[in-house]
Amino acid sequence: MNQKINMKQIERKAYTSYHEDGILEITVAVVVFTFAIMMMIDMPWLGGIAGALAVSFYAGIKKLVTIPRIGYVRLPVQRAQKITAIALVLGIVAMVAGMFAFVQTTSSGVPDWLLFLIDYYMITIGVAVAVLFLLGAYAFKTTRMYAYALLTATMFVGGYFLTYPLYYYLAALGTIILAAGLFMLARFINKYPKPTQTMDAQ
Amino acid sequence: MSPNKANDDELGAIPKIDKIIHEPARLVIMAHLFVVDSADFLFLQRQTGLTWGNISSHVSKLENAGYIAVEKEFIDKKPHTTLQLTKEGRAAFQEYRTNMKQVFEDLPE
Repeated sequence: MNQKINMKQIERKAYTSYHEDGILEITVAVVVFTFAIMMMIDMPWLGGIAGALAVSFYAGIKKLVTIPRIGYVRLPVQRAQKITAIALVLGIVAMVAGMFAFVQTTSSGVPDWLLFLIDYYMITIGVAVAVLFLLGAYAFKTTRMYAYALLTATMFVGGYFLTYPLYYYLAALGTIILAAGLFMLARFINKYPKPTQTMDAQ
Repeated sequence: MSPNKANDDELGAIPKIDKIIHEPARLVIMAHLFVVDSADFLFLQRQTGLTWGNISSHVSKLENAGYIAVEKEFIDKKPHTTLQLTKEGRAAFQEYRTNMKQVFEDLPE
């Protein structure tokens, strides 16, 4: 028996095996696709509803596909608290920036920094989505999310120099992430078939 | 100094090693439960590669030692068993790690 047990590796394995089912990717792709379609028909607010429903969608599929195959695990709460704190700070920063922009706009016209963000909206959106992926990479300990962040940033920064509408890039991003998710899901189902007997039934 | 005391000094941290945790399968179970909040048998089986019978017998020993809490509940009318390290189990595992490190540090090159 090798006494040198690598706790970091065990922890990483617990996280990655729980998230190697591709369901996170499929959920993100569905939200991105919905946004793209809703932008195409000029109803982007409907995309927001898809975003809100994403959590239930994710939890439902996870319960249906992942838990019967790899079992149930509750990850430590400290990490969840840290993530909630980061999300809260990001939300507050966004809200303060929004209020600041609103006050400045109503008192003395659209401020320069806001005009800058609007002028470079492709880069602004790209960076915002990339930050969300980075947060996801940290939260779920999944290195592939860094790749999605890089892909998003590259795609949207590149998109700034091209003339295609925003929803084209969202659809392309959604397609790539969905393909990755479906591939992972197929591999996961193959790797972890449903057990025929359960310990609890004994 | 008594002969026993002298012997203990020579052995360093070895006598402090917790024999319940030191068994390979139990060590693996403890290590996996240490990094999560709680998990069920299936998760442990997938992570450790141990058979269910093996997990079951070792979990019983760890439960008897007070290192693991076993909680049985019904989810969607199906029985479900959740395992969690107790406070004592967490402390014992931490102590085991410290002692093992000490044992290897004390060994000559």
